[in-house]
Amino acid sequence: MSFLASIENTALATWVRESGSLLAYPAILFLHTVGLGFLVGLNAAIDLRILGAARRLPLAPMESFYRIMWAGFWVNATSGTLLLMADATTKLMNRVFYIKMTFVFLAVLNMVLIRRRVFRDPAIDTARVAGFGRALAVTSLLFWAGAITAGRLMAYFGPVSGAPGLQNKIP
Amino acid sequence: MVQTFSVWLHSTRLSWAVAGGVPWIWPLCETLHFMGLALLVGIVGVLDLRMLGMAKGLPIGPMQRLMPFAIVGFTVNMVTGFLFFAGDPFQYIHNVAFAFKLLFIGLAGVNAILFYVTGLYRRVDGVGAGHDAPPAAKLVAALSLFLWVGVMYWGRMLPFIGNAF
Repeated sequence: MSFLASIENTALATWVRESGSLLAYPAILFLHTVGLGFLVGLNAAIDLRILGAARRLPLAPMESFYRIMWAGFWVNATSGTLLLMADATTKLMNRVFYIKMTFVFLAVLNMVLIRRRVFRDPAIDTARVAGFGRALAVTSLLFWAGAITAGRLMAYFGPVSGAPGLQNKIP
Repeated sequence: MVQTFSVWLHSTRLSWAVAGGVPWIWPLCETLHFMGLALLVGIVGVLDLRMLGMAKGLPIGPMQRLMPFAIVGFTVNMVTGFLFFAGDPFQYIHNVAFAFKLLFIGLAGVNAILFYVTGLYRRVDGVGAGHDAPPAAKLVAALSLFLWVGVMYWGRMLPFIGNAF
């Protein structure tokens, strides 16, 4: 039995995929969506503020969003691992999955860089964010958009994802 | 009436195109639907959390200036959501998860309208850094968080509790 098949055949992966319980695949997928909403949504709020939206909003206290963003990240890393285990033989063979992981890696790295370069800047809120910080806000939006796009397209390219009965709509 | 409308909608070229006649439309709309979700839930969510007492260093008034982006997200999701419905109305009209999703969106809308028309919006607009939002605003914020997370729940349950896809 191949390595990927042995992951897919563990009791946990089988339960996630086949138990039919609303607490298995459906609930994990739901948590993955909530995590996405908060992780990407709050990143976007910070990016938009850096780029000049809601100018009167002080940037410095927005650093406390990082707690929620990291919570969203860990919810999604955990739920994503479970979803991946349930369909290891198809998802880990799907090129689009690796594109998604690349975007997520870049986006999270970008998020850490914004904290270091924008939030740790003693001159924060005394002037407009400098060019490098603004560039980071743009790349953050692009990387998250890329991660969402690749995530959605996993269901349409390559081996079909785990949702029951889902059709592969891109030939 | 819903049945008649669905039959008509299903016969349109738009429905044909969305349902796979033009193969890229459905996946493109799905992608946009999730980007819209992130903008809407992220911005409304963080405003709700601030009213509930998190990140008190942020004055609420200027935070509300981010709301237009949440409205952009909502609009994108209304349009793409309608396109999904047009593509295959019959997987939604008898779907209990879809009914609950619409109900929760409606309740979230009523909650938001009450926030504006009762003048709570203006009272909250003056809440500066370090200050608490009034209890009524906290109630609206808690309801808003519950309802939008609920909308995501029912949306995700379309294929599992309902019969979509």
